[in-house]
Amino acid sequence: MLHRTEGIVLKNTPYGEADLLVTFLTKDFGLINTFAKSPRKVKSRFGSSLEPLTYSRISFWAKEHTSLPRLTQSDIIKPFQELRENFSCFLRLSEIAELTCNFLPEGEANIGVFFLLKKIMEMMQSSCSALNALVYKIKFLELTGYAPRLKGCARCGRSGQGFYVSQGSVICGACLDKLDEVSDKKGVVTLSAGSIRLYETLKAWDVSKTARIKVSENMFSELSGMLDAHIECTLSRPIRTKTFRKETVPFPCSRV
Amino acid sequence: MSQGIVENLIQQLMKLPGIGRKTAQRLAFFILAMPDEDAKSLSEAISNIKQKARFCSQCFNITESEICSICSDESRDRKKICVVEEPGNIFVIEKSGSFKGLYHVLLGALAPIDGITPDKLKIAELLERVKTNGTEEVIIATNPNTKGEMTAQYLKEVLTPFNVNVTRIAYGLPMGSDIEFADEVTLRKAMEGRRQL
Ligand SMILES: [Zn+2]
Ligand SMILES: [Zn+2]
Repeated sequence: MLHRTEGIVLKNTPYGEADLLVTFLTKDFGLINTFAKSPRKVKSRFGSSLEPLTYSRISFWAKEHTSLPRLTQSDIIKPFQELRENFSCFLRLSEIAELTCNFLPEGEANIGVFFLLKKIMEMMQSSCSALNALVYKIKFLELTGYAPRLKGCARCGRSGQGFYVSQGSVICGACLDKLDEVSDKKGVVTLSAGSIRLYETLKAWDVSKTARIKVSENMFSELSGMLDAHIECTLSRPIRTKTFRKETVPFPCSRV
Repeated sequence: MSQGIVENLIQQLMKLPGIGRKTAQRLAFFILAMPDEDAKSLSEAISNIKQKARFCSQCFNITESEICSICSDESRDRKKICVVEEPGNIFVIEKSGSFKGLYHVLLGALAPIDGITPDKLKIAELLERVKTNGTEEVIIATNPNTKGEMTAQYLKEVLTPFNVNVTRIAYGLPMGSDIEFADEVTLRKAMEGRRQL
């Protein structure tokens, strides 16, 4: 059956001689992996439309219970070329794409995530700030049901400032004593009251308004440290893009 | 004649890119009809390439000796190094006859999401060559896609301290094509990269 939808390329992987496997976040089908015939050839009709972050109108053939849907057409709506041209900006968006690929189930529409990604990409096109990327992470985890719990202890609801990575939540001192396993108490990230408030604000506010919020470097690093630890614990592996950033950081272009 | 051995050859040939069952069948029967000598040389050529091929210790091109024929050719311009992603790229550039310097194969391109970090490519080896060989120009001929571009930007950064001229091959439309069918990114790149006639 031929399907038509809008999609944003999250990643592509060379396959065979000149083919590509392309992962899209689509409006109507959620995350999908597709097979594209020969886009790497110089005169391919796909042109540059399968490069990461390209927003297109796509068509693909999918037979029920068979392998990969076959991409038949891709017409660029917005290329988002600027986001790819800046090294540090592309790294931020790669992290977002990695997160999206790893948390979303295949083939289940999640229109909230689709519009969130599109909105964040538009915002990053005018200002590729680290805050925009942080906002994506917070909203994305919320929309997919993986959000960390910071508003009070997971056991009793009282406030606390120790976020326990293995619990995905803040745990207060009294409840911490009641945890039996030593491993349950490992991996604590201490958050200031200000960071917790900031997190709740970013979570509640409309994405387009979050750019107005002034965030201190301290709060930013507390929150992103907590989120990354939470994400890595949920995925049970390191975030590849983060590792990549660490390895390229001595060079000025990746600092920004 | 057993059906098995022909079928086996057909199956093996089908592993090659662009070869479907029909073509594989044609090739299999062609090989069957070949003189013994020719068939033998073909099978030897295939097994040789896997046994003897290795990477040139200087540029990481495919070679059967320690140093490849390009690196050991004294007539080539040793002040210029053209950086490519794969050994196969050298082949096509050589065929075009457009470059007479040396090459350096990275054996891939940077890809954060796939975990391809700089240490997984032959970048340190490139810097070492530039540092010790008095290279004047490094031409970056990685693919004109996101990974290739990212790699080019990264190389530009790490080569800056070496006081070497870093250039990038031009972006543009494929020759023989029609502007009408070019996508907007390709066209924009071609416009930006225009030059005086
Ligand atoms: Zn408690
Ligand atoms: Zn060589």
